[in-house]
Amino acid sequence: MFVYLLNVGVFICVYAILASTLNVMIGYAGVFSLAHAAFFGIGAYVAAFVAINVSSSLIAVLASSVLTAGVLSLIIALPALRVRDEYFVVVSLAIQILCVTIFSEWKGFTGGLGGIVNIPLPEILWGSVSTPMQFFLLALACLAAITLIIGLIVRGSFGRSLMAVRDNESAALALGKNVALLKTLAAALSSGLAAVAGVVYAYYLSFINVQSFTLDTSVLVMAMVIIGGSGTIFGPIVGAALLTVLPNALSYVSFLPQSEIGSIQQLLYGLAMILMMIFRPGGIVGAGRSKRSGN
Amino acid sequence: MVLLQLLINGIQTGTIYALTAIGFALIFGSTRIFHFAHGAVFVIAAYMFKFTFGDLGLHWTVATIAAVSAAVAAGLLVNLLIYVPIQRHEGSYFTVFVASFGVVIVVQNAVAIIFGRGFSAIETHLSNAVEIVSGLFVAPLFGIAMVCSVIILTSLHLILTRTHVGIALRALSQNPELVRTFGLSTRGLSTYAFALGSALVVPGAIFTGAASGLTPTIGLHIMLISLVATIAGGVGSNWGAAWIAFSIGISENLVLWRMGPQWSEAVAFAFLLAFMIFRPAGLFGLAAAR
Repeated sequence: MFVYLLNVGVFICVYAILASTLNVMIGYAGVFSLAHAAFFGIGAYVAAFVAINVSSSLIAVLASSVLTAGVLSLIIALPALRVRDEYFVVVSLAIQILCVTIFSEWKGFTGGLGGIVNIPLPEILWGSVSTPMQFFLLALACLAAITLIIGLIVRGSFGRSLMAVRDNESAALALGKNVALLKTLAAALSSGLAAVAGVVYAYYLSFINVQSFTLDTSVLVMAMVIIGGSGTIFGPIVGAALLTVLPNALSYVSFLPQSEIGSIQQLLYGLAMILMMIFRPGGIVGAGRSKRSGN
Repeated sequence: MVLLQLLINGIQTGTIYALTAIGFALIFGSTRIFHFAHGAVFVIAAYMFKFTFGDLGLHWTVATIAAVSAAVAAGLLVNLLIYVPIQRHEGSYFTVFVASFGVVIVVQNAVAIIFGRGFSAIETHLSNAVEIVSGLFVAPLFGIAMVCSVIILTSLHLILTRTHVGIALRALSQNPELVRTFGLSTRGLSTYAFALGSALVVPGAIFTGAASGLTPTIGLHIMLISLVATIAGGVGSNWGAAWIAFSIGISENLVLWRMGPQWSEAVAFAFLLAFMIFRPAGLFGLAAAR
């Protein structure tokens, strides 16, 4: 039972990292991306590749994954600079679909649908992380570090400039803010840190395949951010915990048919998204009314 | 011959895409609501037809009427119950989009629970292909789909250019303030846009069901195509959307000539990505992307 709880704990941390990093895009930069699972995947695949072929040292794997995802974030930053709002949602959808096709077809690197198995355990200074408890602590430490980084950044001048761009791009531009640079950095930060979730995930399961990085995951993470509260530090974490625990809790409800659990869970969070948007667009943690203004 | 066969398949797919895309383009162009739930309306129409025609065994006219009513009712209800309340307190595209996405998820899973997650086809002998020249197979359904599409697109053109509602809808997509100045109700016009746009998914939904079968997730795919078409075609240009959707359908099938089927979707999206980076206003765009 305790091991089961630790397992749920690790997943909550992984999704909380994803939701917190996506929140940098959605909540602070006002760039609505549906391609987050693609960067989660890039992080996981690079981690698996480095761990198997080069070194299983946690630091080396983390560094290479974060850097790769950060650099590749340019593919999302470039169109984000050209188009806005609903146009960008569509572009990010396209990127997500293209990445999933690449994940499942580039068999030499990603293993295709079969995925990659036998990813070695992460090695840190004094040995390797192996027990569920150690994994939970590792995931928790990553989440804490990322929350701290994001918290510090958005409270600083970079964060305030970013929010200025979100609220009124023309005004920010008129005040001399380098909008293009700000958006590019936000995308790099968000995607690079999302790769951390991929590293933890790949190490923990020691198996990854394309199923974990599809549009469904992007939508799930988006729902976590929205339901928890975009533009707040703890909202995405609350959302991630809620949406990770929910399916586990539902499987204990005896009168529900087991085969439909997945559908019922998705139905519930779809419904939650609709009701949230009508009655409380700021999310659980956020203010009652979202201050974001579309222009 | 293979190429010709793929071209014919492409024309059929393209026609289905064009009809759905033009419905979305009409709604998005005139109301500026990012109606992602258009894909959900497609699923509802398709499964309504399957249920009344395939499961209950009613006549196809009755089933078509049921499908049209279900689609129009779904489109109007989504507008009335979700978009109108949201726009009352906040007009951000983001909020509307998330709620609309929620509708897609809810409908997709409700359909999966009721009808099952697997493939279900609408059984009809019209979809049995006939070999007209050696090596070239065409189903009678292909001809019916062509004739229906031409009739539907012509009547849509007449509605948009000859009737008061149609002219007002086109005016709404060009200048909403001016429409209000002339004393027309934009909300009333939105209702027409939703009714007309939602009704346009029905032929595509029925032909897809009969030709290639349905899954609850088909709405998402068809929605992605409609979005690509609307944006690549240029927002505000219904015919632009139809043309792009049609070419996506054809290219998706022609790709099969040299590459595996898993690449057909990727090709459509690579196309869109190139468009977004080099020509954000779209091919037939009226105004630059905001």
